[in-house]
Parts: sequence; structure tokens; C-alpha cells
Amino acid sequence: MKELTLELALKMLEAAERWAKDIAGFSCSIAVVDKAGAVIAVHRMDGAAMATTDIAIEKAWTAVAFKMPTLMGSRWLDPRNMGKLMGDHAMGMIGRGKGRLCFIPGGIPVADEENEVIGAIGCSGVPSGVGDISDTSVSQAGVTALYE
Amino acid sequence: MNLEVAKNLLQTGIKKSKEMGKLCSIAIVDDHGWLVALHRMDGAPIPTAEIARDKAWTAAAFRIPSAEVSQFGDPNVSGYGFNVQNWNERLTTIPGGMPILNEGRLIGAIGVCGETPKEDVIICQNILKDIFREERELGPGRRKPRKKYGRR
Repeated sequence: MKELTLELALKMLEAAERWAKDIAGFSCSIAVVDKAGAVIAVHRMDGAAMATTDIAIEKAWTAVAFKMPTLMGSRWLDPRNMGKLMGDHAMGMIGRGKGRLCFIPGGIPVADEENEVIGAIGCSGVPSGVGDISDTSVSQAGVTALYE
Repeated sequence: MNLEVAKNLLQTGIKKSKEMGKLCSIAIVDDHGWLVALHRMDGAPIPTAEIARDKAWTAAAFRIPSAEVSQFGDPNVSGYGFNVQNWNERLTTIPGGMPILNEGRLIGAIGVCGETPKEDVIICQNILKDIFREERELGPGRRKPRKKYGRR
């Protein structure tokens, strides 16, 4: 598994969609990007808000650009973390990356066997705060399917 | 237009362009021009994804093939003076975007980008030829997803 192909991307999307539909019960948009941050596949589920496709793509782009889940980046931007470890230098992140940087939780990078980042998956449209259900867990379902 | 139909269209399109030996991106938008699904084939250039989406948006917005939007630059056609060049970041006159019409009613649009515009149009037409057959195979009465709220 050296690079993400369309076939693998669709496998991830299918698993994530199934998770979002059957377990979370919310409609969302899911995007998969390759290691350059370029879109491989985007799906918007029936009933998901229209603007979520763009946000899902941006989350995936950010995850691959920083080689880390956007959940971690969102901790940087949280004003409550000011003065804590990695908490007080990150407000300048806002608006970087020609406006594409999106540190909303929901993007997860995908690594191969050598721990090299080969792409990312991003999800948008699931409200967070209900148990384990969030954009991140939908993306995680997609990542898990890739390694099966 | 829903995701199931869009996925079927994309599957058909990718199969057809593989048969032709072409690499391309295909975008499906709904009747308001919003993206429903987008696939970029392995090896297709990166910007093709965004251009395919632009073509599909243009086709959905005007309800005509994206190539025909360039007619607004012709002084002999009504609609002359419309700012085709700088209307917004999506409007394009490159051939390869086609509206999907069902009995005259717009249900979505498709955009193909990757090869020369002529070949994009051929791929587009090949996909549209199959759409209503696909629709019949899916049948009516698709159920909505059952709602569950997970563990509490």
C-alpha cells in the first residue's frame, strides 16, 4: 500500500458512509485526498447540508498537510489552552494556507506500513457532543476499513 | 439526484473512460449546482477535479451544456453582454458539462474533465445514455436510512 488509489478511497468512503448512516444516524459529506492533498473522491450523503463537501475537503487537506488529525490542531486554537503545552502560539494559524486551513475536528491522515502519510480522509456534517458520535469517529471508521 | 444515483453514474463513467483508455475526473452536482459526488481516477491531473466540478456547476446553473454558455459572447444571441469571463470562480465555457434532464426537468448535472474537450463530451454523452436505464434498475421506493442514536 504505497499510495491511495480510487479503489481504496471508495472502500474507505463506503465504510464511513455505512457508519454514519447506521450507527451515527446523521447524513454527512466525506472526502478522501491523496498525499498531495488533491481530492480523490468526495461523497455527499442524501440530506447532508450543501456546504459540507467543501469543509470535508478542507479538513482532509489540513490533515495531510500537517500529518496529524485536525482534532489535534483544534486544541491549538482553543483559547482555553492558552499557556499550556502547544497552546499559546497557534492563533496565527487562522487564515493560513490561502484560507484552506481548517482545524475543525474531523480530518484524519492515513499512513502506510512505514508510517509515511499517504493521504487523508475528512468528514463534515455530523454534530458532535452525542457520545462517541462526531466527524472524527466517522472518519475513523473509514481509516479502520482501509487496514482491514 | 441522490448519492446512490450519483455513484452509479460515476461507476459507469469511470468504466467507460477506462475502456477508452482515458484518465479523467467526473463530478455530479444536484439540481442547484451543489456537489454530490466527485471521483478523480488514479493518475488524472490534480486540477481536473475542480474543473470537472466547475463544468457541472455551469451546466446545472444554465440548464444547457457548458460549451453553449459561450454563445452569450455572440452579439447576435439574446443574452449578449453577460459577463462570462468574470462572473464567478465556477462559470466556465469549456465543453464537458451536461445537464441531466428528466422530462424537461433538471435533476442534476455532470462534469467530465481530463482529456481534450471533445473526448470529455463523448464520455459525458456515454454516461447520460445509460442514466435512465440505471434509474429503472434501482427501482422506486428507496428506503430512507433508519435513525439510530448509538450508544448512550
